[in-house]
Amino acid sequence: MAVPGLEQLPGTELAAGSFTISAEEDAKLAQVVGDGAPAGAAQPLWAYVATQRGIGVSVEELCALADFDVNDGPLLGSTAMTWSQPIERGVEYAVAGEIVDIARKSGRSGTFDILTYRERLLAPNGDEVASSTSAWILPRKEA
Amino acid sequence: MSALNVGDVLGPRTIASVDPELMKLFAEILDDPNPIHLDPAAVRAMGLGDRVVNQGPANFGYVLAMLREAAPEAAVRKLDVRLGGNVFAGDRLIAAGRVEQVEEAAGERVLACRVWLENDGGTRVLEGSATLVVPA
Repeated sequence: MAVPGLEQLPGTELAAGSFTISAEEDAKLAQVVGDGAPAGAAQPLWAYVATQRGIGVSVEELCALADFDVNDGPLLGSTAMTWSQPIERGVEYAVAGEIVDIARKSGRSGTFDILTYRERLLAPNGDEVASSTSAWILPRKEA
Repeated sequence: MSALNVGDVLGPRTIASVDPELMKLFAEILDDPNPIHLDPAAVRAMGLGDRVVNQGPANFGYVLAMLREAAPEAAVRKLDVRLGGNVFAGDRLIAAGRVEQVEEAAGERVLACRVWLENDGGTRVLEGSATLVVPA
Protein backbone atom coordinates (compact mmCIF):
# COMPACT_ATOMS: atom_id res chain seq x y z
CA MET A 1 0.00 0.00 0.00
CA ALA A 2 1.36 3.41 -0.97
CA VAL A 3 2.10 5.89 1.78
CA PRO A 4 -0.01 9.05 1.50
CA GLY A 5 2.18 12.04 0.74
CA LEU A 6 5.23 9.91 -0.07
CA GLU A 7 4.17 8.47 -3.43
CA GLN A 8 7.07 10.23 -5.15
CA LEU A 9 9.75 8.98 -2.73
CA PRO A 10 10.74 5.72 -4.54
CA GLY A 11 13.46 6.47 -7.06
CA THR A 12 14.78 9.47 -5.12
CA GLU A 13 18.56 9.55 -5.36
CA LEU A 14 20.48 9.98 -2.12
CA ALA A 15 23.27 12.54 -1.95
CA ALA A 16 26.46 10.86 -3.12
CA GLY A 17 29.59 10.62 -1.00
CA SER A 18 32.78 8.66 -0.63
CA PHE A 19 34.56 6.42 1.84
CA THR A 20 38.08 5.07 2.36
CA ILE A 21 38.65 2.06 4.62
CA SER A 22 41.70 2.39 6.83
CA ALA A 23 43.70 -0.61 7.95
CA GLU A 24 43.07 0.41 11.56
CA GLU A 25 39.28 0.46 11.21
CA ASP A 26 39.33 -2.77 9.21
CA ALA A 27 41.19 -4.47 12.05
CA LYS A 28 38.66 -3.11 14.55
CA LEU A 29 35.78 -4.45 12.47
CA ALA A 30 37.41 -7.90 12.42
CA GLN A 31 37.76 -7.66 16.19
CA VAL A 32 34.03 -7.00 16.55
CA VAL A 33 32.55 -9.63 14.25
CA GLY A 34 35.37 -12.05 13.44
CA ASP A 35 37.47 -12.33 10.33
CA GLY A 36 35.38 -12.79 7.21
CA ALA A 37 37.83 -11.33 4.71
CA PRO A 38 39.48 -13.07 1.77
CA ALA A 39 43.28 -12.93 1.92
CA GLY A 40 44.54 -9.39 1.46
CA ALA A 41 41.08 -7.86 1.27
CA ALA A 42 39.05 -5.80 3.72
CA GLN A 43 36.18 -7.23 5.74
CA PRO A 44 33.15 -7.90 3.52
CA LEU A 45 30.85 -6.27 6.08
CA TRP A 46 32.15 -2.95 4.77
CA ALA A 47 29.51 -3.44 2.05
CA TYR A 48 27.08 -2.36 4.75
CA VAL A 49 29.24 -0.12 6.92
CA ALA A 50 31.09 1.86 4.24
CA THR A 51 27.93 2.54 2.27
CA GLN A 52 26.09 3.73 5.36
CA ARG A 53 28.95 5.96 6.45
CA GLY A 54 29.93 7.15 2.99
CA ILE A 55 26.53 8.06 1.59
CA GLY A 56 25.86 11.79 1.73
CA VAL A 57 22.89 11.56 4.11
CA SER A 58 22.76 10.54 7.76
CA VAL A 59 20.32 7.93 9.07
CA GLU A 60 18.44 10.84 10.65
CA GLU A 61 18.18 12.60 7.27
CA LEU A 62 17.19 9.37 5.56
CA CYS A 63 14.36 8.91 8.04
CA ALA A 64 13.33 12.53 7.56
CA LEU A 65 12.93 11.89 3.82
CA ALA A 66 10.30 9.33 4.84
CA ASP A 67 8.71 11.88 7.19
CA PHE A 68 9.92 9.89 10.20
CA ASP A 69 11.69 11.08 13.35
CA VAL A 70 14.76 8.91 14.01
CA ASN A 71 14.03 9.24 17.74
CA ASP A 72 10.84 7.22 17.22
CA GLY A 73 12.93 4.08 16.79
CA PRO A 74 13.48 2.81 13.27
CA LEU A 75 14.22 -0.94 13.19
CA LEU A 76 16.46 -2.67 10.68
CA GLY A 77 14.38 -5.51 9.24
CA SER A 78 16.49 -7.02 6.49
CA THR A 79 19.57 -6.43 4.38
CA ALA A 80 20.84 -7.91 1.14
CA MET A 81 24.52 -7.34 0.37
CA THR A 82 26.27 -8.18 -2.89
CA TRP A 83 29.95 -8.27 -3.78
CA SER A 84 31.29 -8.13 -7.32
CA GLN A 85 34.92 -8.03 -6.22
CA PRO A 86 36.83 -7.92 -2.93
CA ILE A 87 36.67 -4.65 -0.99
CA GLU A 88 40.09 -3.07 -0.50
CA ARG A 89 41.65 -0.95 2.18
CA GLY A 90 43.04 2.46 1.22
CA VAL A 91 40.88 2.94 -1.89
CA GLU A 92 38.61 5.97 -2.05
CA TYR A 93 35.26 4.48 -3.06
CA ALA A 94 32.39 6.61 -4.30
CA VAL A 95 29.08 5.86 -2.60
CA ALA A 96 25.76 6.30 -4.39
CA GLY A 97 22.25 5.29 -3.48
CA GLU A 98 18.55 5.66 -3.93
CA ILE A 99 15.24 5.01 -2.23
CA VAL A 100 13.81 1.81 -3.66
CA ASP A 101 10.39 1.71 -2.03
CA ILE A 102 8.20 2.76 0.85
CA ALA A 103 5.11 0.74 1.70
CA ARG A 104 2.57 0.91 4.50
CA LYS A 105 1.63 -2.23 6.43
CA SER A 106 -0.58 -3.02 9.39
CA GLY A 107 0.01 -5.77 11.90
CA ARG A 108 -0.58 -6.73 15.52
CA SER A 109 1.89 -4.06 16.60
CA GLY A 110 0.05 -1.35 14.69
CA THR A 111 0.79 0.54 11.52
CA PHE A 112 4.30 0.81 10.16
CA ASP A 113 6.07 1.69 6.95
CA ILE A 114 8.84 -0.33 5.34
CA LEU A 115 11.48 1.93 3.81
CA THR A 116 13.82 0.18 1.39
CA TYR A 117 16.93 1.85 0.04
CA ARG A 118 19.97 0.68 -1.88
CA GLU A 119 23.53 1.97 -1.59
CA ARG A 120 26.49 1.08 -3.78
CA LEU A 121 30.25 1.16 -3.32
CA LEU A 122 31.92 2.21 -6.59
CA ALA A 123 35.57 1.79 -7.56
CA PRO A 124 37.49 4.77 -8.96
CA ASN A 125 36.81 3.43 -12.49
CA GLY A 126 33.06 3.45 -11.76
CA ASP A 127 32.64 -0.32 -11.43
CA GLU A 128 30.32 -1.49 -8.66
CA VAL A 129 32.31 -3.29 -5.99
CA ALA A 130 29.54 -4.01 -3.50
CA SER A 131 26.01 -3.00 -2.62
CA SER A 132 23.71 -3.00 0.36
CA THR A 133 19.92 -2.94 0.17
CA SER A 134 18.21 -2.50 3.51
CA ALA A 135 14.60 -2.43 4.64
CA TRP A 136 13.87 -0.37 7.75
CA ILE A 137 10.66 -0.70 9.72
CA LEU A 138 9.27 2.70 10.68
CA PRO A 139 6.54 2.42 13.33
CA ARG A 140 3.87 5.07 12.79
CA LYS A 141 2.25 6.56 15.86
CA GLU A 142 -0.72 7.71 13.85
CA ALA A 143 -1.64 6.63 10.37
CA MET B 1 38.09 -26.85 -5.63
CA SER B 2 35.40 -26.72 -2.98
CA ALA B 3 34.56 -30.03 -1.38
CA LEU B 4 31.18 -28.68 -0.36
CA ASN B 5 28.11 -30.37 -1.77
CA VAL B 6 24.34 -30.25 -1.35
CA GLY B 7 23.36 -31.01 2.23
CA ASP B 8 26.73 -30.14 3.73
CA VAL B 9 26.61 -28.15 6.93
CA LEU B 10 28.41 -24.80 7.20
CA GLY B 11 29.80 -24.01 10.63
CA PRO B 12 28.78 -23.92 13.37
CA ARG B 13 30.71 -20.91 14.57
CA THR B 14 30.02 -20.00 18.18
CA ILE B 15 30.05 -16.51 19.68
CA ALA B 16 30.49 -17.44 23.33
CA SER B 17 29.16 -14.18 24.76
CA VAL B 18 28.21 -10.99 22.94
CA ASP B 19 30.52 -8.39 24.44
CA PRO B 20 29.06 -4.95 25.26
CA GLU B 21 32.54 -3.42 24.93
CA LEU B 22 32.60 -4.58 21.31
CA MET B 23 29.20 -2.94 20.81
CA LYS B 24 30.83 0.35 21.83
CA LEU B 25 33.62 -0.24 19.36
CA PHE B 26 31.14 -1.10 16.60
CA ALA B 27 29.11 2.01 17.41
CA GLU B 28 32.26 4.03 16.67
CA ILE B 29 32.89 2.13 13.43
CA LEU B 30 29.26 2.56 12.34
CA ASP B 31 29.16 6.15 13.59
CA ASP B 32 25.89 5.17 15.24
CA PRO B 33 25.26 6.75 18.65
CA ASN B 34 21.94 4.94 19.25
CA PRO B 35 21.92 4.50 23.08
CA ILE B 36 20.24 1.08 23.02
CA HIS B 37 23.67 -0.29 22.02
CA LEU B 38 25.50 1.62 24.74
CA ASP B 39 23.36 2.36 27.76
CA PRO B 40 21.25 -0.21 29.68
CA ALA B 41 19.05 2.65 30.93
CA ALA B 42 18.01 3.39 27.35
CA VAL B 43 17.14 -0.27 26.86
CA ARG B 44 15.06 -0.28 30.07
CA ALA B 45 13.26 2.85 28.92
CA MET B 46 12.18 0.99 25.78
CA GLY B 47 10.93 -1.95 27.83
CA LEU B 48 13.49 -4.32 26.32
CA GLY B 49 15.16 -5.46 29.54
CA ASP B 50 18.44 -4.62 31.22
CA ARG B 51 21.04 -5.58 28.66
CA VAL B 52 22.23 -3.49 25.73
CA VAL B 53 21.11 -4.59 22.27
CA ASN B 54 23.63 -5.72 19.67
CA GLN B 55 23.76 -3.82 16.38
CA GLY B 56 21.95 -5.74 13.63
CA PRO B 57 24.86 -5.47 11.17
CA ALA B 58 27.17 -7.16 13.71
CA ASN B 59 24.93 -10.20 13.36
CA PHE B 60 25.54 -10.12 9.60
CA GLY B 61 29.25 -10.06 10.35
CA TYR B 62 29.09 -13.20 12.49
CA VAL B 63 27.55 -15.04 9.53
CA LEU B 64 30.20 -13.72 7.11
CA ALA B 65 32.94 -14.92 9.48
CA MET B 66 31.24 -18.33 9.68
CA LEU B 67 31.15 -18.56 5.88
CA ARG B 68 34.81 -17.61 5.63
CA GLU B 69 35.72 -20.31 8.14
CA ALA B 70 33.52 -22.95 6.46
CA ALA B 71 34.63 -22.22 2.90
CA PRO B 72 37.88 -20.24 2.95
CA GLU B 73 38.43 -20.68 -0.80
CA ALA B 74 35.00 -19.29 -1.68
CA ALA B 75 34.02 -15.75 -2.59
CA VAL B 76 30.75 -14.59 -1.07
CA ARG B 77 28.70 -12.97 -3.82
CA LYS B 78 25.49 -12.35 -1.90
CA LEU B 79 24.13 -12.42 1.63
CA ASP B 80 20.41 -11.74 2.00
CA VAL B 81 19.18 -11.89 5.60
CA ARG B 82 16.21 -10.96 7.72
CA LEU B 83 16.51 -10.07 11.39
CA GLY B 84 14.11 -12.06 13.54
CA GLY B 85 14.89 -10.89 17.06
CA ASN B 86 17.17 -8.84 19.24
CA VAL B 87 20.58 -10.02 20.37
CA PHE B 88 21.58 -8.84 23.84
CA ALA B 89 24.87 -8.43 25.66
CA GLY B 90 25.95 -11.77 27.10
CA ASP B 91 23.98 -13.86 24.62
CA ARG B 92 25.62 -17.00 23.28
CA LEU B 93 25.11 -17.34 19.54
CA ILE B 94 25.67 -20.01 16.95
CA ALA B 95 26.12 -19.09 13.28
CA ALA B 96 25.59 -21.92 10.84
CA GLY B 97 24.25 -22.85 7.44
CA ARG B 98 23.65 -25.57 4.90
CA VAL B 99 24.41 -25.96 1.20
CA GLU B 100 21.10 -26.29 -0.65
CA GLN B 101 22.09 -26.21 -4.31
CA VAL B 102 25.28 -26.44 -6.36
CA GLU B 103 25.53 -25.39 -10.00
CA GLU B 104 28.52 -25.32 -12.30
CA ALA B 105 28.76 -22.69 -14.98
CA ALA B 106 31.52 -20.77 -16.74
CA GLY B 107 34.26 -22.48 -14.78
CA GLU B 108 32.67 -21.75 -11.41
CA ARG B 109 30.75 -23.71 -8.81
CA VAL B 110 27.93 -21.60 -7.43
CA LEU B 111 26.70 -22.69 -4.00
CA ALA B 112 23.26 -21.55 -2.83
CA CYS B 113 23.11 -21.80 0.96
CA ARG B 114 20.72 -21.22 3.84
CA VAL B 115 22.31 -19.39 6.75
CA TRP B 116 21.15 -18.54 10.24
CA LEU B 117 22.15 -17.22 13.62
CA GLU B 118 20.56 -18.85 16.65
CA ASN B 119 20.60 -17.92 20.33
CA ASP B 120 20.74 -20.29 23.28
CA GLY B 121 16.97 -20.40 23.46
CA GLY B 122 16.84 -21.77 19.93
CA THR B 123 15.44 -18.58 18.42
CA ARG B 124 16.75 -17.74 14.97
CA VAL B 125 17.61 -14.09 15.41
CA LEU B 126 18.76 -13.95 11.79
CA GLU B 127 17.92 -16.14 8.82
CA GLY B 128 18.48 -15.92 5.10
CA SER B 129 20.50 -17.05 2.12
CA ALA B 130 24.04 -16.77 0.86
CA THR B 131 25.60 -17.32 -2.54
CA LEU B 132 29.19 -18.54 -2.64
CA VAL B 133 31.38 -19.00 -5.70
CA VAL B 134 34.47 -21.19 -6.04
CA PRO B 135 36.52 -22.13 -9.11
CA ALA B 136 35.22 -25.39 -10.65
